[in-house]
Amino acid sequence: MFLLSLVAMATVYLFVTAPPPLPEASAGGGKRLTAGEVLEICAAENAAVRELYAKEVVGAGQKVGLRFDENWEQLKIDAGPLPALFLREVSKSLAQGRVRLGLFLGSDNPVNKSNQFSGPQADALEEMRRDGEPRSFFMDDVKLYTAMFPDVAVAAACVDCHNQHPDSPKRDWKLGDLMGATTWTFPSNSVSVSEALELIAALRNGFRDAYAHYIEKTKTFSSRPEVGKKWPSQCYCLPTTETFMQAAELRISKPTLDRLLSRR
Amino acid sequence: MNVGHGQLACTGCHRAAPGTVRQQVQAGTRFLLGLRETPVDFGFRKVENGDCNACHERPFDRHPVFRFNEPRFAEARKVIAPQQCVSCHREHAGRRVTVQPEYCRHCHGELHVKNDPLDVSHATLVRESLWLSCLGCHDFHGNHLMKSPTRLADAISSLRVGRYFQGDASPYPRQLRMPARQERGDH
Repeated sequence: MFLLSLVAMATVYLFVTAPPPLPEASAGGGKRLTAGEVLEICAAENAAVRELYAKEVVGAGQKVGLRFDENWEQLKIDAGPLPALFLREVSKSLAQGRVRLGLFLGSDNPVNKSNQFSGPQADALEEMRRDGEPRSFFMDDVKLYTAMFPDVAVAAACVDCHNQHPDSPKRDWKLGDLMGATTWTFPSNSVSVSEALELIAALRNGFRDAYAHYIEKTKTFSSRPEVGKKWPSQCYCLPTTETFMQAAELRISKPTLDRLLSRR
Repeated sequence: MNVGHGQLACTGCHRAAPGTVRQQVQAGTRFLLGLRETPVDFGFRKVENGDCNACHERPFDRHPVFRFNEPRFAEARKVIAPQQCVSCHREHAGRRVTVQPEYCRHCHGELHVKNDPLDVSHATLVRESLWLSCLGCHDFHGNHLMKSPTRLADAISSLRVGRYFQGDASPYPRQLRMPARQERGDH
């Protein structure tokens, strides 16, 4: 009888007179996307923005005298980040933000040994070389959903730098080659549409932070490029962060919207 | 408290979990009964990397913890869990670093340095498992303004590094690239 009363009281306490419930960690009802679907959107945006940066900033910039270097952050080096390091800046921005979206770049033939794939990433890249398709798996120890996407040589700047770099283990890269892969991690197997939008916003903020970091560094250059509306294809100059992001959003917004709508 | 944390208030790291105790009990019960998807914290939030980074975030960190969530670090994660700040900086231990200073071996076993500037090659150091020597020339997070010596004899001794881990004064150059914030930067 006593036990029954206790259960009844607990039920009343826990459910009948309950205050408003605490929101779920993964908020947002309605249609949900799988982690794979949202990471595919992120990877497509990242590929498009990195292509913009590699071609229109690095490739065109080198022709007018801008330098890009692996040690670009050092004060005495008047240079900007190479495309791989641009991605690392995006990755850092994501790590500092609220969403738990992870981004890494690696290869089986990286210039920097710290980006050498091993284990499941090396296996996934080998499989990708056969069919060019993304791969995904679950990392049980850290409970992270992981997806890998092909990283293709899209600009002459990528190929030339990797073929000429003294530390490069491979010197015969060609345009269109699969040079490595991006690895994305996320702690949930599905997200609501509102969470997906939050992830995409965080990623775009990462692009902005990465480019803004470069523009900030140009303030220390002995010969500072003009920063405004023009691009390096026009002069020894760079677009402002706003101009760069506008160009990026022109490339990525429609494909992302189409992808989201196709999953209604 | 660990070195440098003596003046911190408990609530600097231990922050109240969302909701009232009753809401937390209810949410926890619902989670146990399968009526809720995600668990909740009781009383205080779990202290995580974000709490450390609220003061110690540095854009140039050589070994930012988030990088160790990459699949290829699975073996290192099994042994030293480098993806979490507290794996090396366990709090309330009265020390600065709470692991032995030879942990580099878990990731750098196949180290190869081109045009090696050191008089005793890095290959030799790795081959002879002289892992205590690494931190004599390289500080782990790269926050000390220093130039690595080219003679191993000029490196900071492992004894001094060990004492630094225990809480002694820093053997690295005093000038820091970015001192820790005095207040959380995520408010």
